Amino acid sequence: MAVTGMNFTLLLPELILVATGILLVLLDLFTEQKRVLVYAGLAGVLASLLALIPGFGTTASIWADMIQVDSLAGFFKIVFLAVTALALLVSLEYVERRQIQAGEFYALLIFATVGMFLMASSLNLLVIYLGLELVAIASYALVGLLKQDGRSVEASIKYLLVSSATSAVFLFGISLVYGTTGSLALPQIAQALAAGAASQPVLFAGMLFLLAGLAFKVAAFPFHMWAPDTYEGSPTPISAFLITGAEAAGFAALLRVFLVGLPGLADAWTTIFAALSVLTMTYGNVTAISQTKIKRLMAYSAIAQAGYVLVGLAVATGQGTAAMLYYLLVYAFMTVGAFAVIILVANSGAGEEISDFRGLSQRSPFFAWALVIYFLSLIGIPPTAGFFGKLNLFSAAIAADMTWLAVVMVINSVISAPYYFKVIRTMFLEEAAEAEPVRAPASLTWATAITLVVTILLGLVPDQVYSWVRLVAGAL
Amino acid sequence: MPLAAYLLVSLVLFVLGGLGLMIRRNPLVLLMCVELMWNGANLAFVALGRGLEAMSAHVFAFVVITVAAAEVAIGLAILVLVFRGKARQDVDEVNLLGERG
Repeated sequence: MAVTGMNFTLLLPELILVATGILLVLLDLFTEQKRVLVYAGLAGVLASLLALIPGFGTTASIWADMIQVDSLAGFFKIVFLAVTALALLVSLEYVERRQIQAGEFYALLIFATVGMFLMASSLNLLVIYLGLELVAIASYALVGLLKQDGRSVEASIKYLLVSSATSAVFLFGISLVYGTTGSLALPQIAQALAAGAASQPVLFAGMLFLLAGLAFKVAAFPFHMWAPDTYEGSPTPISAFLITGAEAAGFAALLRVFLVGLPGLADAWTTIFAALSVLTMTYGNVTAISQTKIKRLMAYSAIAQAGYVLVGLAVATGQGTAAMLYYLLVYAFMTVGAFAVIILVANSGAGEEISDFRGLSQRSPFFAWALVIYFLSLIGIPPTAGFFGKLNLFSAAIAADMTWLAVVMVINSVISAPYYFKVIRTMFLEEAAEAEPVRAPASLTWATAITLVVTILLGLVPDQVYSWVRLVAGAL
Repeated sequence: MPLAAYLLVSLVLFVLGGLGLMIRRNPLVLLMCVELMWNGANLAFVALGRGLEAMSAHVFAFVVITVAAAEVAIGLAILVLVFRGKARQDVDEVNLLGERG
């Protein structure tokens, strides 16, 4: 067999990440200073980001058509690297305080990122599946790394059982699609579909299985039941990493599989995605109202946000895809930022209840105001980035003649406001039990500052970024 | 035997695994049920690979077996942690997380 397809330059970002992961494991054996691992990890992430540059703007299918390098993959890789870098930053203090094994923690984080890369950059179901499993297997271990904490172990076993069952569903879906179309490559599947050679009922069942399998990964209702427990029990930086990174990877796979592979069945799946979207956002927002733990609140908020993003798939237009990408980008930054504040409060000795945020405005005004901005962005109040993210999805829905979906989105934004404001009220209007200022480590301050700048910047000058995202979506 | 028979068996395996996942409560048995589901999908791949005379399905089956092994390895490790904390034989007793707090 010819090896002409082996293009190492275009695969360099992934290779650098794998090398970084291995390096971290080795480095862990030789150093007592575990901070070095974070710096090495950040250097690896930066190197991987730089390695993306040669492949920018090119569209190529390399390694026997297993890896697809295009602008969509490039976009998602940038999002994943940003999330990973921020997760490394917010983990620094947390890992030291909780005495988590640092080498395993950081290396698994990097390996999970490689899995996300594979999910976003392939048009072959085999590689998408492998990427999905790489993310999942690394995450099981990451979620359970607080070994002394029963809650972390419980989150891990629940996540493992549900996630591997859904992988089986996804796998069965692949086998059905393969059986009817005779191919694992999404473009060929689309061709077989267009030729009408495929026997429809079996293929339709396969599509449903694929949809259910991936809907679990993005925690869409009614496939969400693992999410609140997993996100509550896992180490807080990992909650942030999974909510933003793994979810974005799930959406990347959804975009590839459905828009590239199964456009012939669009009539069916747009209806399903519209229904999932409405159910998911409504369920997430309504359930979030009664939460008293901040991580559970964020988990339900994440479910609701996944519902908003699903609008982009329900409309299935280039505009919808662009709006999805923009929202995922914004969402990554505002959510990791909010988690940085949660980690700060947890590190300061208080717990992870909403009541532990009492008087944060006096104890640490910068972080309190930062959280206000993230929350305003999550609700979708201008001029934050979240507003434009929702606006784009909203106009995409209207342009596709789905005004009712846009109306449901707006109603949901209104429902979501009270639970975010509850936290803000606790921070500003209730007195703290102890009034001493919170000591903020530099790593958390940096993470908060970066996410804050991006959240505000994407709200003030959304047009440049949006036009880029439109371009990316057009290339799909 | 026709292809349809193999596919039927694979479907039966898959459904049995899914049913077991819903009605059994021992986490170790749950893990075995998940494996049954995976192997159901795997059998479908191998059968389809023979039916379509394509090697890609066989390759896929090998990859899935490898991934399943990795998954079981980590699953058993986590189970050891669950059992070490408390001798819990029933997933319903694994209930620290939830709304009641």
